[in-house]
Amino acid sequence: MSKELLRAEHITKHYEGVCALQDASFSLDSGEVHALIGENGAGKSTLSKILAGAARADSGTIFVEGHEVKIANPMDAQRLGIAIIFQELDLFPDLTVAENIVIGNATFARHRIVNYKQMDDFCRPFLAQVGVTASPRAVLGTLPIAQQQLVAIARALSQKAKILLMDEPTSSLPFDAVDRLFALIRTLKSQGVSIVFVSHKMREIFSVCDRITVLRDGVTVGTRVTSETTANEIITLMVGREFKNTTASRRTRAISDEVLLSVTGLTTHKIRGISFELRRGEVLGIAGLAGAGRSELGAALFGLDRIKSGTFLIRGQRSSARSPRQAVKSGFGLVPEDRKLQGLMMQMSVLANSTLAVLQRFNSWGFLRRSEEAKAAKSVHNRTRMKAASYDAPVSSLSGGNQQKVLLARWLLVNPEVLFLDDPTRGVDVAAKRDIYEIIDEFVAHGKAVIFVSSELTELLQCCDRIMTMNGGRNMGILEAAQTSQEEIMSFVTGMATVQSEGAHL
Amino acid sequence: MSPSSPTSESRLEAPDQLTAVRSLNDGGAKPPRSPSIGTMRLFRRFQSVLALIAITIAAIALSPRASDGSNIFLQPGNLTDILQQVTVIGIISVAMTFVILTAGIDLSVGSILALATCIAAKELVNGASAQGEVWHIVSAIALALLACALVGAINGAVISALNIQPFVVTLATMIGIRGLAKWFTNNANIDIGFGNDPAAVFASLLSRKIVIIGALVTVAVAFWTVLDRTVFGRHVRAIGDNEQAARYTGLPIISVKVWVYALSGLLAGVSGVLYAAENHQGNPNAGVAYELDAIAAVVIGGTSLMGGKGSISGTIIGTLILGILTNALRLNNVDSNVEMMVKAVIIIAAVALMPKGKAA
Repeated sequence: MSKELLRAEHITKHYEGVCALQDASFSLDSGEVHALIGENGAGKSTLSKILAGAARADSGTIFVEGHEVKIANPMDAQRLGIAIIFQELDLFPDLTVAENIVIGNATFARHRIVNYKQMDDFCRPFLAQVGVTASPRAVLGTLPIAQQQLVAIARALSQKAKILLMDEPTSSLPFDAVDRLFALIRTLKSQGVSIVFVSHKMREIFSVCDRITVLRDGVTVGTRVTSETTANEIITLMVGREFKNTTASRRTRAISDEVLLSVTGLTTHKIRGISFELRRGEVLGIAGLAGAGRSELGAALFGLDRIKSGTFLIRGQRSSARSPRQAVKSGFGLVPEDRKLQGLMMQMSVLANSTLAVLQRFNSWGFLRRSEEAKAAKSVHNRTRMKAASYDAPVSSLSGGNQQKVLLARWLLVNPEVLFLDDPTRGVDVAAKRDIYEIIDEFVAHGKAVIFVSSELTELLQCCDRIMTMNGGRNMGILEAAQTSQEEIMSFVTGMATVQSEGAHL
Repeated sequence: MSPSSPTSESRLEAPDQLTAVRSLNDGGAKPPRSPSIGTMRLFRRFQSVLALIAITIAAIALSPRASDGSNIFLQPGNLTDILQQVTVIGIISVAMTFVILTAGIDLSVGSILALATCIAAKELVNGASAQGEVWHIVSAIALALLACALVGAINGAVISALNIQPFVVTLATMIGIRGLAKWFTNNANIDIGFGNDPAAVFASLLSRKIVIIGALVTVAVAFWTVLDRTVFGRHVRAIGDNEQAARYTGLPIISVKVWVYALSGLLAGVSGVLYAAENHQGNPNAGVAYELDAIAAVVIGGTSLMGGKGSISGTIIGTLILGILTNALRLNNVDSNVEMMVKAVIIIAAVALMPKGKAA
């Protein structure tokens, strides 16, 4: 069974003179799930793009089933049975499921006139194979993101793909969909499909992959058989140095008795009767599956969604924010879920992005005092440990972790009383995650409070004092982080359990 | 990304991550970069300046000679003529840069210009002011500018408060204000004479080269300062770059947009006042398609219609490129229809050569 299906040797790739891949090598056996792991910028996405024909290597050779092949474009890759599922799915949200599958598909006979019935018949077996229940005629954009991803996989299968490259497939999925995806991966594997699983989530890799190849700075630093290695060994390979066990230390915080934020019966079109209290110095985690209303809670507090009923008091004063602008004035900050779409101005500099919310501070007679602005940015980034070529570099040139730090810095400068962090560690490398945890710690140590939404339960257990579980827009119960477990949280967020705690308002 | 790991300085993944990421503190070595790429980047960065230089050289080379053998294009009179001729479009283009930076567009500036010529001319021609000549002229100009800024502010308010696309809103304004100007003047020009009345004094004062060129320079410098040195300017860029993110940051989006379109209306008014003086008339049919010339100048100057990226200096260069082109072709007696065709090519070439991608 372990016959070598694909081999890439000495792959080198430069982007405008800067090295992204340097003599990287990779080998994939037929019917295996092979993880490609590395910090952001290590070159794992570049390598998978090269294999899928979405980028061209400067040099190097690729063999499929022992024959040397040229993969110059996605069509070449399709002919060789290689397909890629991008992290941000490259689908057409306004077309139907079936149209998405047949478009550009060489195995579907081309007709000048579209025959919808033929199209549906062609798609159905593949949709069934991946478990998409929606009609082939459904408009793709109306499906949940997890279903859309399955459509992308169905498309790959319909192209007779033998090799499936998945670029961080779980990054935008809710917990339950992750399990279903893994089940599908195992099924596909048993059907002889080989999968390259690009990720940096250790737990997922260990649960689904047969072998692990680690990239660092564009170089392959090692390949390990999953059953013969440990997470610590892989992390050490990734970062190139010893790493402390990240789950060990749960910190103790000095939480004051003073209630900073008090929410009672908060209801919008997406959340129902949410109540909780937040004290100075506290980090409140929010756990929930996709659609549970985690981000919508932030939207309600931050004046983005209209509040139908319920109140919230900040510092004992009733807040009636009708816009983010008013929410900021009353002491709220929000780091949104999608930093590129909702957070950063990608064409603007690191400096301009960092200071954007507090420019009035540097305003004198209408003019910006730019040296003071630079000073403020510098001092806040000493805390975030953000790394950039220069403060004048566009923020788009930074890695995901550093971009997130720029966004955090923007709010650290505002210095709100309550900071709502919506999945701040998504798509962020291990080292930057630790920095973000430290930023949170330092922030609440100054008598502030944080609401921390995360899709990673280990992270919530590690960083938060209490964890509010949400399901269907409701608060299912607030758990003490020190006395709960991943299993218990899962039972709450899936709606299997509830408690009559101070906050549960059902 | 450990500071202790020296190789962490030149990581990247996607093609848009061009700048090597390295620590600010350790001052690490620059990543290797071949010289041709460096030259290429330099070329891209200064491409509009290079285009201006190239077109100037071509204009000098192709210029006919005067009877004394001197180069007609280089005569001071001709060079200041160019500046004078580009002023009306140039001033509109400066404000259009702000509008386009917010990812908007203002199609109504040509009509607003016509409105300004009519209001100013009518005020000047009709009746005498009790407060004397100077007051009469100043109040006529002020009234015209105020009306124009108001029209612009309404554009901005409708766009941002009702959340309608700028193209649609300003298209409607373009039609409506043209109608208003024609209705206001009964579809006739209001002529300004050459005598000693306030209207004539106004025209002779404001049609001087020094005043016209001075107005362009003043407007350009003022708006450049606002864009690059003020909170407002930074907000304009931020909103154009990513409006949703600007909202999440709590920026005053509505007021910034109202101001941007009000400034666009105001500068269209300034151009209108200069136009009225230069042409000795209020003309409800003035400025037709000027908005397109202004957009062309902005685009040639490297400002992206997607918003967020662009500069006032680029727009001035774009304006000069078009102005010199027109002048050079006219000196060589090229048909004005051919001139339009050449302009078309220049516009496409400028945009085709522009650095691509979001992170340009």
